[in-house]
Amino acid sequence: MKRFVAGFLTGALGLVLVALVCLRFGFADVRADATIPAWLAGWLNVSAHASVVRQASSLPAFVPATDANVIAGGKLYLNDCVGCHGEPDKPPSDFGATFYPPAPQLALEGTRYSEQQVFWMAKHGVRRTGMSAQADSYSDEQLRLLAAFIARMPRLSSNILTEIRRKPESAEPAAEPQK
Amino acid sequence: MKNFLLGFVAAIVILPVGAIGYFCMGFTDAQSDVAPSALESRMMGAAVHAAVARSAAKLTAPIADDDMLVKGGKVYVEGCQGCHGELGKRSREDHSFYPRVPQFPYTGTQYTEPQIYWVVKHGIRMTAMSAYGRFYSEEQLWSIAAFLRRIQSLPPGVAERILAKSANAGSSH
Repeated sequence: MKRFVAGFLTGALGLVLVALVCLRFGFADVRADATIPAWLAGWLNVSAHASVVRQASSLPAFVPATDANVIAGGKLYLNDCVGCHGEPDKPPSDFGATFYPPAPQLALEGTRYSEQQVFWMAKHGVRRTGMSAQADSYSDEQLRLLAAFIARMPRLSSNILTEIRRKPESAEPAAEPQK
Repeated sequence: MKNFLLGFVAAIVILPVGAIGYFCMGFTDAQSDVAPSALESRMMGAAVHAAVARSAAKLTAPIADDDMLVKGGKVYVEGCQGCHGELGKRSREDHSFYPRVPQFPYTGTQYTEPQIYWVVKHGIRMTAMSAYGRFYSEEQLWSIAAFLRRIQSLPPGVAERILAKSANAGSSH
């Protein structure tokens, strides 16, 4: 038994040491412009999803899914999210593809996250990705509208598409910080 | 000896499986509005620096003149400063990306010109730094590198030229 424990400790120490040496001497591949292997993308998604589910599932239900709310959220989306996450009815974002992991193409694929979870991710951001926390730029109320819209992609009625693209007559969407 | 080997193998199998399980069950924090720990920042910062140094070791930067610095500075103002800090403005700290985005006007950079060129062209995995090789020409990439390397020690007049020109470009935008 003593030998087993000694072996276990040696193995554990060796594993940590090998990892540290690889990192320290620059053997980790850091290029973002290579295609992410499917197993890694899948695994990163599983762990981010599990963490978000743990944190965001107790949030209460959100704004009613009226057309007005979805349209208000859609205007915010067009204003600030399309650059990475893709515009409805347009080809996927070239820019979003240059991140590692790449930005999910919400306009094309929709999302498996619930409205509450989308709200939580937009507000707090996602670690070790290009997704930053948006709490400084948007109020909770705005982020709830945004989540209501994102949860309804990729299938949007043409009425909603037209409305979100309509330019405001007077002063409107919330003043945005520069990207 | 047999028991020792058994323990060794057990550690090599159990630890990675345990780590994967830990991640897959959602025990890691996902939110990026909390600063990374000093340990993580130092470890991963050193790993990225070492990897970039290895990858960029064979590259040589062209010799930079003032015009090239102005060109690079204009690209910076147009495409980089939204995340990396505005040239000539007051310092602000990033607190929404994880890892934090370096604010170059206030921190400068320890990376050499070929290393900066490489990072801008290829991006950095698992950070918000995307790959710009598709969007910028080789000449632009090298001019950004030349500018960034000297961002805190620009020759007299260069910063003024960068900001004057880009102010005009901005108004027509």
